[in-house]
Amino acid sequence: MSPQELTAKEKQELSGQEKTRPGRYYQPDVDICEFSDRLELWADMPGVSDQDVQVTLENNLLTIEGRVGTGLYDGLSPLYTEYNVGNYFRQFSLHESIDANAIKAAMRNGVLELVLPKVEAAKPRRIEVRVA
Amino acid sequence: MALLRFGSDFPIPTLQRELERFLRNPAISLGLSGYGAYPPLNVFENDHGAVVVAEMAGLDPSQVNIGCQGRTLTIRGERKPREAGNGVAYHRRERSFGEFSRSLQLPEDYDLEKAEAKYENGLLIIRVPKAEAAKPRQITIQAG
Repeated sequence: MSPQELTAKEKQELSGQEKTRPGRYYQPDVDICEFSDRLELWADMPGVSDQDVQVTLENNLLTIEGRVGTGLYDGLSPLYTEYNVGNYFRQFSLHESIDANAIKAAMRNGVLELVLPKVEAAKPRRIEVRVA
Repeated sequence: MALLRFGSDFPIPTLQRELERFLRNPAISLGLSGYGAYPPLNVFENDHGAVVVAEMAGLDPSQVNIGCQGRTLTIRGERKPREAGNGVAYHRRERSFGEFSRSLQLPEDYDLEKAEAKYENGLLIIRVPKAEAAKPRQITIQAG
């Protein structure tokens, strides 16, 4: 089998929610996977530095927001464009109980990497069945 | 051609409007394969040369090859999935992975030999300076 060829997806513009900051917002593509003790979320936010990302968890609502810098475009005029640029925003309501104080976030090459540890009570436990 | 220039400290809607104006409406032909190809590219210019910006988050820069031959610039590489391991349940899987290759042809005014690339916050930025011969020159008038 030949390796899979990567294709570009059109960026999903955020609609239905108005932000106080003007301009378009886009929905970052995410992977979310669940481990026994944690959730991990990876979100593609190209153009966002580690200084310009904000993650909040309030009432089980996880919000991620990334702001793109415009400094790169200073003094440039476009000749040819295939994508637009904008800030990123996405929210998830979490069913799992997450230990908000233990959340770890890192930005690596434009990808937000979030580790959301479950609170002790939410971790699967094996209950011993005792023979009567 | 009248192109609006971004000043410093410009707000994001100005950038978005300008990018929108050129979407599917190129000012120059770059021999590109078109939309849906990865990575998506934006091409700009300033007085010094051309700037190619590719949105490609989460790549290992050592897995990206940038080559040039004649007037053609080629970006090639692979975006590898993370290894999550066994017994992991994916709730969402929207990010895509695989191999990619894209080429663009720059006009002769640019000197690909002197191109420089950097990978920053998931953006590949390639700066190609203008060829010496294409730079604006002042011609002095000699006194008769």
